[in-house]
Amino acid sequence: MSAIQRLIEDFEKNGRRPLRVLGASGQLGYGIPTPALEEGLTRKPDMIGCDMGSIDIGPNYLGAGKMAPTRVGAKRDLRKVLRAARQLDIPLIIGSAGSAGAKPHLDQTLEMIREIAAEDDLHFKLAYVPSDVPREVVRREIKAGRVMPMDSMPELTEEEVDASSQLVGQVGLEAFRRALETGADVVVTGRACDTGIFASIPAMLGFPLGIATHMAKIVECASLCCTPGGRDTILAELDDEGFNLESMSPKRAATPASVAAHSLYEQADPYDIREPAGRCDLRNAHYEALDARRTRVTGAVWQPADRITLKLEGARLVGYRALLLSATADPRFIARHAALLEEVKTVVRDLVCEDTAQDYDLFFRVYGVDGVRHWPTPPNPMPREAFIMGECLAPTPERAEEVVRTTKQYLLHHGFEGRLSTAGNLAFPFTPPEVVTGAAYRFNVFHLMQVDDMAAMFPVFTETF
Amino acid sequence: MQLQNIATVIRSKNAGPCLVTFDLMFKDTDDFLRAKKAVSHIRSEVARLYGKSENEVRVIDYAPSNAVKITIPRDIVSGNPGDTDVYGAQQHSLLLEIEI
Repeated sequence: MSAIQRLIEDFEKNGRRPLRVLGASGQLGYGIPTPALEEGLTRKPDMIGCDMGSIDIGPNYLGAGKMAPTRVGAKRDLRKVLRAARQLDIPLIIGSAGSAGAKPHLDQTLEMIREIAAEDDLHFKLAYVPSDVPREVVRREIKAGRVMPMDSMPELTEEEVDASSQLVGQVGLEAFRRALETGADVVVTGRACDTGIFASIPAMLGFPLGIATHMAKIVECASLCCTPGGRDTILAELDDEGFNLESMSPKRAATPASVAAHSLYEQADPYDIREPAGRCDLRNAHYEALDARRTRVTGAVWQPADRITLKLEGARLVGYRALLLSATADPRFIARHAALLEEVKTVVRDLVCEDTAQDYDLFFRVYGVDGVRHWPTPPNPMPREAFIMGECLAPTPERAEEVVRTTKQYLLHHGFEGRLSTAGNLAFPFTPPEVVTGAAYRFNVFHLMQVDDMAAMFPVFTETF
Repeated sequence: MQLQNIATVIRSKNAGPCLVTFDLMFKDTDDFLRAKKAVSHIRSEVARLYGKSENEVRVIDYAPSNAVKITIPRDIVSGNPGDTDVYGAQQHSLLLEIEI
């Protein structure tokens, strides 16, 4: 009998009891502190969940099909949670595989799981749910007027859909539930709502969806909701009225203030958790200290939506990136840097575009002045030193490299009126100061699409080890 | 008094790739209520400093954490060519000197 079947049978036979949910990691692959995980395993958890991805890391990972952590780090963390779940014979649920949850990310994650199962002689049933969205479906729904932009994104076009190198949808609780219903011990999904990881088993056991979703939203970040916040494993004990939170690290306390404040993190509205099938309303949420390190949370209410919506995420190639890393400590250069950098851009363009139109973008970020944002006014006085990062985006890596190498030479020796430092304008911390970083992407899809049948779009696959 | 002398937290972060959200947290209800009373002033200062129209600035007061949340569109979508702060974690400092 699978871990989930036994859990359901336990509830049927022995009646309702609090469900113990272990949030092992909010970013699988960056390390799971062992002492807190081990402490969590002594509390007889009913399930272990881990979030592995996010959109906040930028478009590159999605577009390039690469993980944000190293493979070594990801496999080490996967091994920890797989061994823990198999040792206790409880379900392990992992969402947003491989950082961005598209096919290459899920494939890499599944490959590591297969390796670990073989290397450690682990036996379990695996269910996985790819979250790549068929392009023809999105094109059809654009025509039908059933795709809406999120926030400040423009309307989605069929051209952008075709141009995305990866296109995923955030699957929700129902996808995890379908995976669990196959009798799987381990569930892995592509891009997913992080709440689905932790709210799917509570939903199957009949816990109120509002409370379960609120709990899921907090424990998916492990002990981030504590003071001090951190990546240690967290335990939630869920009942029909609320849930109790306790970090598995004795150094971290879940206080009413710290838990309530977690609703602010990376969210535009702290009272609202949006899901494909509805929203979780936190207006009447209540946070109460059980003791110095534990908080009880009640009051979240689930409001089902009229129609199911899928959040789409896509990234497209914008070119290839090369960088110039350099610095200056010359007050006359620093004082006039804005005009001088524009002059050098023109010099470079005239040299590398003798026979062609300009086919690249060249950006300078001057750290110490305006590298982090375009401030309303310049610093006064100007800084003693400034770091100048040149960035070229071009149609090929070779072209990008050609532009930054040329830029380096002409920025170094650019003459200007009043120049005293005639041997060179730049300090290089090392040579070569040019770096080719490769393919560059941007988000071109961040939209909501109406979906009638999630199960048909995102089927479940299983494997037995 | 400037926000940096009354708030215990002044931070920024993306809320999705198109928005940046600021959290102002205060040590107690008195300080929170002082900020809450100044919400329309904070909104117009944020609009001025960040180059947005006032109707682009969304302000929500959040009593459970003695916090005020401000959300504005990012100048550039996270990670687009020319971006300077992919996570949006260093966009807060213009708030420090707002007087309330």
